[in-house]
Amino acid sequence: MAIWFFIFAELLAFGIFFVAYAFARAHNVVLFNESQQHLNITSGAINTLVLITSSYFMVRAVAAIKQNLSRECARWIAAAIGFGGIFLVIKLFEFHAKFADGITLSTNTFYMFYLSLTIFHFMHVILGMVILMAVMLKARSGGYSAENHTGVETGASYWHMVDLLWIILFPLVYVIH
Amino acid sequence: MSETFTKAMARNIFYGGAVFFFLLFLGLTFDTVQGLPKRDHRENITDAVVRGKHIWETRDCVGCHTILGEGAYFAPELGNVYKRRGGDFIKAWIKGQPTGAPGRRQMPQFNLTDQQLDDVVEFLKWTSEINTNNWPPNIQG
Amino acid sequence: MQFKSQAVAKPYFIAAIGLFVGQILFGLIMGYQYVVGDFLFPYIPFNVARMVHTNLLIVWILFGFMGAAYYLIPEEAETELYSPKLAMIMFWIFLVAGVLTIVGYLAVPYATLAHMTGNDILATMGREFLEQPLPTKVGIVIVALAFLFNISMTVLKGRKTSISLVLLMGLWGLAIFFLFSFYNPSNLVLDKYFWWWTVHLWVEGVWELILGAMLAFVLIKITGVDREVIEKWLYIIIAMTLITGIIGTGHHYFWIGTPEYWQWFGSVFSALEPIPFFMMTVFAFNMVNRRRREHPNKAATLWALGTGVMSFLGAGVWGFMHTLAPVNFYTHGTQITAAHGHMAFYGAYVMVNLTMISYAMPLLRGRSANSGPSQVMEMWAFWLMTVSIVFITLFLTAAGILQIWLQRMGSNPMSFMEAQDQVMLFYWLREITGFVFLIGLVLYIWSFFYKNSEAQAAA
Repeated sequence: MAIWFFIFAELLAFGIFFVAYAFARAHNVVLFNESQQHLNITSGAINTLVLITSSYFMVRAVAAIKQNLSRECARWIAAAIGFGGIFLVIKLFEFHAKFADGITLSTNTFYMFYLSLTIFHFMHVILGMVILMAVMLKARSGGYSAENHTGVETGASYWHMVDLLWIILFPLVYVIH
Repeated sequence: MSETFTKAMARNIFYGGAVFFFLLFLGLTFDTVQGLPKRDHRENITDAVVRGKHIWETRDCVGCHTILGEGAYFAPELGNVYKRRGGDFIKAWIKGQPTGAPGRRQMPQFNLTDQQLDDVVEFLKWTSEINTNNWPPNIQG
Repeated sequence: MQFKSQAVAKPYFIAAIGLFVGQILFGLIMGYQYVVGDFLFPYIPFNVARMVHTNLLIVWILFGFMGAAYYLIPEEAETELYSPKLAMIMFWIFLVAGVLTIVGYLAVPYATLAHMTGNDILATMGREFLEQPLPTKVGIVIVALAFLFNISMTVLKGRKTSISLVLLMGLWGLAIFFLFSFYNPSNLVLDKYFWWWTVHLWVEGVWELILGAMLAFVLIKITGVDREVIEKWLYIIIAMTLITGIIGTGHHYFWIGTPEYWQWFGSVFSALEPIPFFMMTVFAFNMVNRRRREHPNKAATLWALGTGVMSFLGAGVWGFMHTLAPVNFYTHGTQITAAHGHMAFYGAYVMVNLTMISYAMPLLRGRSANSGPSQVMEMWAFWLMTVSIVFITLFLTAAGILQIWLQRMGSNPMSFMEAQDQVMLFYWLREITGFVFLIGLVLYIWSFFYKNSEAQAAA
């Protein structure tokens, strides 16, 4: 499936960044520990739950279409998109607080990684929502069936990947000291 | 590649990927341009520096030299030449060209006026103060 | 040749090859100046020779691209070119402008040329690769727009294939990013930052779209593999190109005054840049192995495979070698860059043009392929030029490593010129190899005229 090629490429890119993060952290443990304390773990944790829930909705969407329930499938996707939106809003509050503190990519190496990784992920959430939107519209108009639902599975796979990346990113950047 | 990987999917990845990364690039560019004044010390770009850059360009210095590592690799790096040699040496050097030493690389005589020589030095001085993340590795460039 | 108007490609290809010869001759002059510093001084100083060398390269590659588009677009669109006449007018304008520019470089001191051509009104000259006087730059824009209008109209009235769409996007991108050559702020850092928008986004961005489309077209023709398969590959390759290459611009933003984070972005993304080139190699071999017909033009097949391999080696491997910031800290602005530049340009853009010319030129001259002996000669030319470039690259790499060692490492580093004297041997070897390249090029041109009369009769 095309999406697996794509997901592989995405994981590779993020993977390299994660390794680079670990590498940079090992060289600046004090700086990283100090800066990490200023992150909002609560909002990060809530966002983790939001994304996992959203991923679960996509599981339900795939299950629904396998039983030929197009409308129900579309509703589950809508719910997944909605939770994606909640993620974005919470994240925007977090970014706003950071920017208000005058933090930029050039503040220090930790914030460079924090902002790069989270913004990069943020854009993936948006992209995932666009993909889900397209899938939802097609599902609503009855474009998928129990026999033919590759599109729904493709969208779901991508969305799970976005979720997975956050599940790695959150502990890596926010929690592990 | 299996049957389900259609051309339409490949095309979508292309369009999506191109737009996505171009937007990211624009975002980074915005951030870079915002942050540059702290690194390039543009408050020190005097008229002399501007004129000096113009002389640098119209004599095609970059056709032999590098500046901050970019250009041709036929003659020394000049991004840090002000720190390496100082202004007086630079002026005397330009005036003394070509050396005419047989078989050696030659720099043309540009017949610059004293004012123009000062401008070139001002440009090279300003350039040497740009924050280049500590490049070059040593004074030799 | 299926459409009469494809014939306009022929003068473009001939001009491209002619300028290619000029490029190599000036390359040899420069190579000799590296070892005998005062050669031809003061008549042709090194910087003038270099301008001529690099500008001829750019111009002939553009001629090749345009010729390729004029050949490929009507066939893909299944219709005659919108205006063959416009194409011919633009050919002459571009050729005359190009030749006048080169004559200007050689005949007048650069400062005088700048003054004569309005550089005081809008200063754009004197920056690497963008040395052209203002009228030439404006001319390039006009020619590009007329050309794009011509081929876009052709595509609009005909069949719209993925290959022609990708080619069109690449060519439009080429024109758009060239506009940054008119932006020359007095702040050197900003100047450099956006200078790369032309230079990098050309060669590691939109030009690769053009390259991919040209290669895909030739592969469809010589292998007979299903268009759907080839176009799918094309999309994936160019997707990877832009995904890695756009942010990959960051590998030029390590040491020019731009923020430190570019070291991370530039390193990570440009480390991925070999992927599309590797895919291109796999693609070319895969398609040739799955061929459904035996095309009589073996030389074109060889060029196509060569493009895949050499662009991967030159752009992919040699690019990767010095793209990580901690490595680039030492290699930046040394002969390593020159080594990479030579193999990447040859492997990607020279070879794809020669692939296209090798495929299309016999057809434009009324035969499906050149005669056997002629093709054998062309293949000799292929090997001579390709092996020469590999050795030129190796010698320059050796020179670069030694240069870094002497000039940038250790507690008592040498000055630039002292270090240059120490690597002289490699410059000599490079220059000798350059002559072998020239022999290859001469053979290449000779092959067009060699024992082809029988083939013509047979066709």
